[in-house]
Amino acid sequence: MSLALPFLECMAADAMPVDGPMRFCAVYFPYGIVQRQLGTDAARWNWFPHETGPQFRFNKSMAALDQHRGDVTVLGGLSHPNGRNMGGHDTADTWLTGAELKEGHLENTVSIDQLAAMHFGDETRYSSLVLSSDGGVGEPTRSSTLSFSRTGQPVPAANRPRLLFDRLFGADPRSLVAQRQSLESSRSMLDLVLDHSRSMRNRLGKHDRTKLDEYLESVRQIEHRVDRSQQWLTVPKPSVDATGLHLHADDTTPSELIQTMYDLIFLAFQTDSTRVATYQLGNMNGATSIAGKFPPLLGLAKNMHTLAHDARKNDEGAEPLGRWDRFLTEQFAYFVRRLKETPEGDGTLLDRTLLLYGSSNSQTHVNLDYPLLLAGGSGLGMKHGSFLRFDDEIPLSNLFVTILNRVGVPTEAFVDSTGELTEILT
Amino acid sequence: MRASQWYLIALLVGVFLPERPSQAATGGPSVSAILERHCIACHGPAVQNANLRLDNLSKDIVNDRRAAETWHDVRNALNSGAMPPRDAPQLASADREALLAWLADEFREAGEARRDASGVVVMRRLNRVEYQNTMRDLLGLHIDYVKNLPPDEVSRDGFTNNGSALGMSAIQMEHYLNAARKGLRRAIVEGPAPPVFAHHAEETVTDKLKTVNWSNRLGRTGTFVARVPEFPDEGEFVLRVRARAEIPQGAPYPRMHIALGYRADTQTPSKTVAEVDVSNRLSRTFEFRRRIEEFPIQSRTQSKYPGMLVWVRNSYSDRQPAPLGEKVKLDVDGKTEEKMVWPVDTRFPAIVVEALDFEAPAYSSWPPEHHTRIVPGRPDSKPDEMRVARDVLRRFVRRAYRRPLRAADVNPMLRFYGKIRPTVDSFEKAIRETLAMVLISPDFLYRIETSRANGTRLNDHELASRLSYFLWGTMPDARLMALAGRGQLGHEHTLRAEALRMLGDPKSSALVEQFSDQWLDLGGLDRVAVNPNYYPDFDPSLKADMRRETQQYFATVLREDLSALNFLRSDFTVLNQRMARHYGIRGPKGSAFERVSLRDFGRPGGLLTHASTLVSNSTGEDSHPVERGVWIRKALLGDPPAPPPPAVPNLATGDPSTGLLPLKRQLELHQDSAACAHCHRGIDPWGIALEEFDAVGLRRETVLRRFGETEERHPVDASATLPDGHTVDGVEALSRYLLEQHDRRFARTLASKLLAYALGRSLERSDELAVESIASRFERAGFRLRELCAIIVTSDSFRSR
Repeated sequence: MSLALPFLECMAADAMPVDGPMRFCAVYFPYGIVQRQLGTDAARWNWFPHETGPQFRFNKSMAALDQHRGDVTVLGGLSHPNGRNMGGHDTADTWLTGAELKEGHLENTVSIDQLAAMHFGDETRYSSLVLSSDGGVGEPTRSSTLSFSRTGQPVPAANRPRLLFDRLFGADPRSLVAQRQSLESSRSMLDLVLDHSRSMRNRLGKHDRTKLDEYLESVRQIEHRVDRSQQWLTVPKPSVDATGLHLHADDTTPSELIQTMYDLIFLAFQTDSTRVATYQLGNMNGATSIAGKFPPLLGLAKNMHTLAHDARKNDEGAEPLGRWDRFLTEQFAYFVRRLKETPEGDGTLLDRTLLLYGSSNSQTHVNLDYPLLLAGGSGLGMKHGSFLRFDDEIPLSNLFVTILNRVGVPTEAFVDSTGELTEILT
Repeated sequence: MRASQWYLIALLVGVFLPERPSQAATGGPSVSAILERHCIACHGPAVQNANLRLDNLSKDIVNDRRAAETWHDVRNALNSGAMPPRDAPQLASADREALLAWLADEFREAGEARRDASGVVVMRRLNRVEYQNTMRDLLGLHIDYVKNLPPDEVSRDGFTNNGSALGMSAIQMEHYLNAARKGLRRAIVEGPAPPVFAHHAEETVTDKLKTVNWSNRLGRTGTFVARVPEFPDEGEFVLRVRARAEIPQGAPYPRMHIALGYRADTQTPSKTVAEVDVSNRLSRTFEFRRRIEEFPIQSRTQSKYPGMLVWVRNSYSDRQPAPLGEKVKLDVDGKTEEKMVWPVDTRFPAIVVEALDFEAPAYSSWPPEHHTRIVPGRPDSKPDEMRVARDVLRRFVRRAYRRPLRAADVNPMLRFYGKIRPTVDSFEKAIRETLAMVLISPDFLYRIETSRANGTRLNDHELASRLSYFLWGTMPDARLMALAGRGQLGHEHTLRAEALRMLGDPKSSALVEQFSDQWLDLGGLDRVAVNPNYYPDFDPSLKADMRRETQQYFATVLREDLSALNFLRSDFTVLNQRMARHYGIRGPKGSAFERVSLRDFGRPGGLLTHASTLVSNSTGEDSHPVERGVWIRKALLGDPPAPPPPAVPNLATGDPSTGLLPLKRQLELHQDSAACAHCHRGIDPWGIALEEFDAVGLRRETVLRRFGETEERHPVDASATLPDGHTVDGVEALSRYLLEQHDRRFARTLASKLLAYALGRSLERSDELAVESIASRFERAGFRLRELCAIIVTSDSFRSR
């Protein structure tokens, strides 16, 4: 594969080729949204609009997206059939994979972002960005990452803005010669480590071999990264102004944290440092997720899980969860706006960026009728401005097939797909 | 384990035995009869509503996943009250309970049966803490090696040292390689001794703006600042502060907080060097050693505010706001000048800084000891380098791999050395890179137990590692390696003696902190946000002290060789000044934790009354009796309740008519619902008995409830009927009851938790006998915690694969 030069600022504006970068980003929030009986006062906080088609109107919690209604589509009725057999809070792991996780069989399969990363990740310095509020990988069915590798291994997520910024934009103070030397030495070191470790395999039992294979796979992957770093060595990292970024935000300042994560994805896209990103705002581990306390820190009284439960239980619970939904929508709308305000070629960054936003619970514990929203990608053939409701016979994977094809990853089928979702195409 | 995973295990691999003997023995209603009576009419041979037929549904759930799923749905329908439908005859509550109890038992049974088949992983990756400690001990350098490592996986029983849970990824490998290179670059030095920079200051520098009280006296206000003009970019520095305290009668000690950094205009990046009590009224010199590269170093081109700054302030706080300075006009040589003056509060404990000395890099010999420990001597000629490289490698690999060398260990490393030596300009650079390769090898990053020499018995080196990672969270020391080398470690008396020696060593703080954190889930403190509207005085930084109270309590029980039953109930706790103030107890004056008798405070000691566990299991506004109940059953009784099935309703807290009720009353309503009662009857009472404690772990007389604008106070009601019919009212009775009725059960729980931690794996059913035997030896030893450690390390489980 030929190596495309990264998109540098000096090349910007006029020369954007027709087949410029295609980007994909998925953002997940846990526990579902408000869904109250139509006609009740509480229904004003419903996440889904009340009428389908292009005449739809956003309710309170989604109003921030009204400014972008021509760039978004709300999707109702979709879910992963495999997820319907799973525990109410087990489906965050499979949101982007469509796999079925069961005890005794907790191995996931590849997520669509990583498929895209495998396809065109080599064209950028980083093949993908994987972010979450909790960071790391968590545990099966409560993973703190949305992304799973080719072999279904969870990809650890970054959760500290400062580290992420340094990785994306921090300059290496060492000389080019020293950097090259270090990379070359890494290359032969990793080769030797691989050889040596393979010889160890015979001494191990079955379960340990699985562990060793995981190690070997990791070594192979960094070998690959080292190769890529060598290719990128002479290309300076883009220079980005950190003013206004809350790089020290952490789990005690949710507003700043979430905004900064969006800023960093935006900057990574703008500088073409990567074209693929996932961001998990929280996982459904009420017992251990650090993100559970975000709503109380914002003055919404209850933790995330309880908000969702209350909203399912009765009308009075609608407003508190609705306010949290609204907060999340505002943050997402901010992200959309930044992409939209940034020119690229004849259009904007948003035109060639496909965003998937949503959850794998509608009401909490319900693995049906996922709240989903697509934004951007009008330059990739997406048609927007509607609320579309689908029959639950249609697997969510059909949407994934369409997304993958739109962002330039030729795909005939994904997991249990039965075709494409043509309704969202021009 | 996380709730719903449990559930899934049960769900998917269950083995159904329709009538268990126990069921028949207790004379409860027959499950088949109940199904026949209430379900089969609509889900049987004649009619299959919802496409569901139960009469001939397969019982072989191991091999028939579909049947398992169906039973899962049945359970949900029962739990949610969806079945039987409203217009059909309802289940008598005894029948409903019988059905649910039967399902719960079977699911649990099935889950356990399934787990037995899962293998035992012996290849364990070092977790964050183990990796940090091992690198520290191997390289002899105290720096942060894990700053950028992603968090570790947690096993279903809450431990972060579980071999099968701990995974590996490319990002981690990258961090390991970076950390290895970074550590080795510092550990192995090059070239002649670097010049030493020293700075001495007796007066604080002052700021032109004079809006801050720059002073040698640190009271309610006052910061002592030293500007160090020249300093190296790396190496150890030593900071000496001569200071004394002015402590008013009966006041706590002032606390000296020292930070290092620089001033970049308005921003002042800095990092804490240390925080210590100053209890001496006469001058004393405090000395601190750190690595300078661990602190923010200013860029050399930054010239507006040159120099490295050392800030010294008094971090003791009585929560009174610091007074503002006042402008006063002074007559200086006939001219009037304005000056800021800060009032001095003589009742506030103060520190007087007399001198500050900064010296860097600090080394007593060159090359420093951390260098010579790895590279004892320089090659005297180019041809000699290979010999030295081989020696260095042989020594280093043996320590890094924690075992004797094998033929294939060193040669590939030497080949690598030979390959890169010509590409770099010094022996040291090449050897560093070679040792970095050792540090990313599986033999270093994992604990591998593969020797087959003694059947399933571990060999002495494997045993040394187990012992060391269990008690110290790090690699074995030279003594353990020597004992293993001589083949003596396997002797029971040696093993025991070594365990006791190790528990007496400060490194055992790894066991204290890690185990108590994970066993008691103290991380819960970080997951609860205390609502400032309810607790305006609460300082979130106190959570760290709460965690330490419990850890230090554990340490006290361990090091003073006390009975573990002190965890259930005692007459003491350990407090520092901040925690004592939180509880309203007088005594401790400093930041160190000390033993405090609770006899006069009407509050029993033990884990139940620790703020750490009470806050972790609260909502941040109020107590959370369900969470507290679950915690007691999990951590103390070893009987984690089944997680809520997916379809159960939540507490109706969004409803104003119930939202204002005390939580206990809401729970009673909750229990009125047949769907909830079955499980909650076994959970809630445990937590209700702790209702005397609010969300920040303090005693209370009334419970505050708010709903919207409405606010109500209810008297505390901590009376509860425990599942066995016992009635307790409050923590006094609960802790006494636990001590008297459940001491053995608690001891068995603690023994199995500690064994799982020691082995680095979840316990299987096949471990039952071992746990039983350890628990009974533990009991015979008077439940002494230290003895439990010794019993575990000498047990067959610990000494075998």
